[in-house]
Amino acid sequence: MVSAVYDHLIAILVIGAIFVGAVVVLPTMSYINLQAVDQQQLRNTALNIFNAMLLNTGEPTNWGSIRDFQKNDQRVQRFGLASAQESTFFVLDPDKVQRLVVGNPLNYCDYNKVRELLGLQNYGFRLRIIPPFNVTFLSVSLMGDSLCYKARVSYLDGGPVPNAEASATVVCTDGKDYFNINQSGTVKTNSMGICEDIIPIGISDPDFYTVILRVTVAEVATLIVTSAQTFNNTIARINIVYDTIILTSWKDPPDYNFQPSENVWIFDIATFGSRGSLWKLFEGDEKGNDNMFNTGKGPFERWFRDFVGLRAFQPVILILNFWAVDPATGRGRHQVLITMAYPELLGTSIFEYGGFPYRDDVVVRVQRSVGISGMTYTAEVWLWKESP
Amino acid sequence: MIRNGKTGQMRIIEAILASFIIIFALSFANIFVITPTSPKYEVTELQKLGYNVLHDLDEQALLARFIYNREWDNITAALRVLLPLDVHFSMTLYDLQGTTIDNATIFYGHPETFASSKNIASVTYGLAGYATKINDAYQAIYEPRIVILRLARG
Repeated sequence: MVSAVYDHLIAILVIGAIFVGAVVVLPTMSYINLQAVDQQQLRNTALNIFNAMLLNTGEPTNWGSIRDFQKNDQRVQRFGLASAQESTFFVLDPDKVQRLVVGNPLNYCDYNKVRELLGLQNYGFRLRIIPPFNVTFLSVSLMGDSLCYKARVSYLDGGPVPNAEASATVVCTDGKDYFNINQSGTVKTNSMGICEDIIPIGISDPDFYTVILRVTVAEVATLIVTSAQTFNNTIARINIVYDTIILTSWKDPPDYNFQPSENVWIFDIATFGSRGSLWKLFEGDEKGNDNMFNTGKGPFERWFRDFVGLRAFQPVILILNFWAVDPATGRGRHQVLITMAYPELLGTSIFEYGGFPYRDDVVVRVQRSVGISGMTYTAEVWLWKESP
Repeated sequence: MIRNGKTGQMRIIEAILASFIIIFALSFANIFVITPTSPKYEVTELQKLGYNVLHDLDEQALLARFIYNREWDNITAALRVLLPLDVHFSMTLYDLQGTTIDNATIFYGHPETFASSKNIASVTYGLAGYATKINDAYQAIYEPRIVILRLARG
C-alpha cells in the first residue's frame, strides 16, 4: 500500500518534470521558435542595412560623382546613398542612386559588388524607390494657338487626389528658329482627381509640342511628368554627373564600321527643376564646333559641358533641342529630346535594384520616405537569407 | 497474477495521461512562441513609420500648419502619400484637457481594419503651438495639441 503511494508520488514528480521540460526546453528547439529568432535577426540586419544605405554617404563621400567611374569601381570603399551636401537625414544623392541603374552608360555597381560592400554575402536584398502618387495624361491637344491638356492625379491605390496643385510648362518648336517654352499658372484637381488647363503657345500647328506637368499634393510630395511625344532616340543618351551634362553614344563601344550618321548641333538645352523653375542652360547655332557631334563616329562620350550650380538646382527634366541634316532628304530638321535628368529615377515608375527572393524565403521589409533631388519618394529594402 | 495485470494497465493509462500532458504542454507553450507575424515586431515597425512621417511633416513646418488651420484634407493627403500603400491610419487630435478637436476625420482604410486587426500601432506626437501672421508680424500662440496616430496594415 505504502509502496504504491511512493510509486504514484514519484510518477507525479516525473510527469511534472516532463511537463516543465516540455514547456521550457522543447519550444526553444521547435522549428517555429527558431524561425522567429531568425526573423528577429533578419529584421535587425534589415534595419542596419537600411540605415547603412540611406544614412551613410559611403566612402569616398562623393563616389557617385566620380567622373571616370568604372563598372564596380574599386575606389568605392564603403557603400551609402546619402547626400554629402545635405544636413537633413534621409536625403539621397541622385548621382549615387544613378550608379545602381544597371546599364547606366557611365557605369554602375552591380548587385554582387554592393552586397560585398555591405557585407551581405549570405543575404539577398532588394531596394525599391516608389513614387508617392501617380499622374497620367488623359489628353493633350492643340486648339488654335493654344494647347489643352487633361491629366489625372491618383494615389497608388488608384483613388483620386482632389486639390492637388498642377502647373504646366509647354515646349514647342516650329521651323528652324522657333523653340519656345511657356509656363502656365496653377490649377487644382477636382474631386475626381482631374485637372485641365489651356495654355497659349503663341503659334498654331507647331512641329513639336509637349507638356511638362508639375503636381504637388498637400505641399509635401511633388511629381514632374511629361506628355512627351516619343520617338526612336538614336541621337545620344543624356546623363548628368553632378554639374556636368554628358551625351553618350547609343553604341558601346562605338561601331566605327557602321555608316557614319549625320552631324548634329545642340541648339538649346534647358532644365526643369523640382521647385518648378526653368533654367536655359545653353544656346547655340549650326555654325558652332563646340556644340556639334556626329552620331556615327567619335568617342563614346560625344559631348559634355559643366554647368555650375546644376546639381543645386535639383534638375528633374532636361530639354534638348537638336538640329540635324537628314541624310535622306538633305534638309535640316529639329529634334527635341525631353528626358528625365536621372533616367529610371524621379518618374512615376518604381525603381528596383537587387535580387529576387525565392518563394519560400522569409522576407523582411523596411520602409521610409526619402528625398531625392527635392522630391519625396518611399524607399523600401527587402532582405532575406540565402543559403551559403 | 491478476493484481500484477491491473498494475500493468494502470501504467499504460499513466503513460497515455503523460503523453496527453506533454501534448497539452506543447500546445500551451506554442501560444507564447513569438511567430514571424508577431504583433510585437509589426507594431514596432508601424510605430517607427508613423513617428517618422509625423516628424518629417513637422520638420517641413507643415504638421502644425495643417492642424492649427484645420486643413484636414491636406493632412489626410499628406499621410496617404507619405505612408506605404498597405498602411491604414486614423488620426485624432486632443487639446491639453483631453478634448477632441473638431471630431476631425483624418482616416484612410477600411473601418474593419482597426476593428479586427490585432496589430495596431499608436504614435503620440505633441505640438506646442503655431506661429501666425498678425499685422505683418509673426506671433507664436501657445496652444498645445496632442496628435494620436493609429496605424494598421490593411
